[in-house]
Amino acid sequence: MNILVLLAGVADNRYPLHEIRIGGDGLIAEAGQSRRVLSPFDEGALELALKLRDAREECRIEVLVLGGCNNDNLLRSVAAYKPERVRLLDLQPCCPWDARLSAAQIAGLVEGEALPVDLLLIGREFGDLDEGSLPVLLAARLGLPLFSLAQFAEWQGETVRLLRERGIRQQWHRVAGPLLVTVTNDKRNKLRHPLMKNVMLAKKMTFDTAVAASAQGSALHLAELAAAREVQRGGACRLLDGDVTAQARALATLLRGQLNQEIVP
Amino acid sequence: MSDKCQILSLIPLAWGADALDMALGAAQSLARSCGVDYQVVLLGASESAPAVARAAAAEAGAVFLAEHAGLSDADDLPALALVAAAAVGQLAAEPGVQRLILLPPGADGEELAARLAVELDACALGRCSALSWSAEGLVVERATWGGRLRLVMGMQGDLAVACLRTSKPQLTVPSTPHEVRRLPVQLPLPAALALEESISGQRLPPVESARIVVSGGRGLNEQGFALLEDLAERLDGSLGGSLPAVDAGLVPVVRQVGVSGKFVSPDIYLAVGISGTPQHLAGISPDSRIFAINKDASADIFNVAQVGVVGEWEQLLPALLKALEQ
Repeated sequence: MNILVLLAGVADNRYPLHEIRIGGDGLIAEAGQSRRVLSPFDEGALELALKLRDAREECRIEVLVLGGCNNDNLLRSVAAYKPERVRLLDLQPCCPWDARLSAAQIAGLVEGEALPVDLLLIGREFGDLDEGSLPVLLAARLGLPLFSLAQFAEWQGETVRLLRERGIRQQWHRVAGPLLVTVTNDKRNKLRHPLMKNVMLAKKMTFDTAVAASAQGSALHLAELAAAREVQRGGACRLLDGDVTAQARALATLLRGQLNQEIVP
Repeated sequence: MSDKCQILSLIPLAWGADALDMALGAAQSLARSCGVDYQVVLLGASESAPAVARAAAAEAGAVFLAEHAGLSDADDLPALALVAAAAVGQLAAEPGVQRLILLPPGADGEELAARLAVELDACALGRCSALSWSAEGLVVERATWGGRLRLVMGMQGDLAVACLRTSKPQLTVPSTPHEVRRLPVQLPLPAALALEESISGQRLPPVESARIVVSGGRGLNEQGFALLEDLAERLDGSLGGSLPAVDAGLVPVVRQVGVSGKFVSPDIYLAVGISGTPQHLAGISPDSRIFAINKDASADIFNVAQVGVVGEWEQLLPALLKALEQ
């Protein structure tokens, strides 16, 4: 089975954002010390691929890592899991806010190189600028059916089964042909730690670049990049004091009287 | 800009009243800000009089019904997209006018929006935080970098599909009841993806429609979430969790609240062991009142909560359950 994994990475939310602005060329310009790491959805996609390969040696994993700041570290962190091939994905022009353009670029690369794909795994959101449109558009461009929000994958005999939950239902899908799968976070696809010897090997590796170019520009031109608006909330927190019993009683009273009453400070 | 823009709200009837209200609310607020009418296309297997009445009360200028017998499955997004595209194709597009199609916000709405954009060869705008029109055309604002930055974009092109979350619609009594105009759609639908279904064992109602949500973070363990589940049941509410709690396997991903999870709008959101990151808070309606329990008095959650308790959940949750029994 040929598994293609697309990874985008996101800015590590444990740290302040590095400098990001709109450059003179109309594209995103990033500077300073960027900490781009795999998102929980990226990690889920990679882990599902690794789990399937664990059970079947004939599985071949190819990974494309979206270009951008902190490329090198991100590529090495992925290479430490020993995919059969890992390359940098260089979108030209790089407009990750435009899912239609990005999907067309990636589909053009996959088709142009005739990459063998039985399963294409991608996080439910592709990086910091996608909110889930890109995987859907990519599936359409490649003519692949889409199974979204997968949480788990396993072999059953010679067939891969995918699981997702929707409300109170569990849904299993048996993979019968080439398929694009978006992956969401779940305890069953939490990314394992790589072996230390493989981490060391990855430090010495060099990586090829896969160029996904398009003569077209984006239909969405960037006008402004600014800090998020502050959401106005009630705030002015009233802290409940006393011992645990008194706090619990006060909280219970508020919750009981709750939903239709105003809170008197 | 009223002569340059057209707004269409497209709503699958099988998605229920909440989706209907959120879609109508977004279209109404955008239409009001632009000083234009908006149209509604209801998608379903048969007509729904309450949905039509609600659309009329939410000031829709016209209501259409795209009816197809194959649309009984709310989850069949490829079929919904095909029927929606066929219905939109029957509505006249005026030259020089930018058309914006709005779908209900949420994971399904966002996927359907992208699928519809493919069918219509339209620009897929995804999950937007604000939309407006300027002299140059449609202006799109999206939350990016985990909700820390907002990106404002101008759109070229004449057709776009988006999801927008605002608030519920303001309802008025229409002077004359709306006549529903039917958009006949007769096309073969693709076979849905073959799925085997079973019940997951979730006993609490969905988190996104509860009036009270009891939610936990990575500060809790399995025992803590068992207590939260009891608490949610006792309060006739539902259970939620943060992304780190989902990652740790403490709560299923269908209950994840936040920018990449569910958006909830309960009357009260009880956050236990949740620090209050922007990514998590982005999933809670600004209209919800937040109650917080956290052992760290400096946790950001107390900056947005109305009621707080600084303490250990291990002591507080059993005491709270006991207090609620009395």
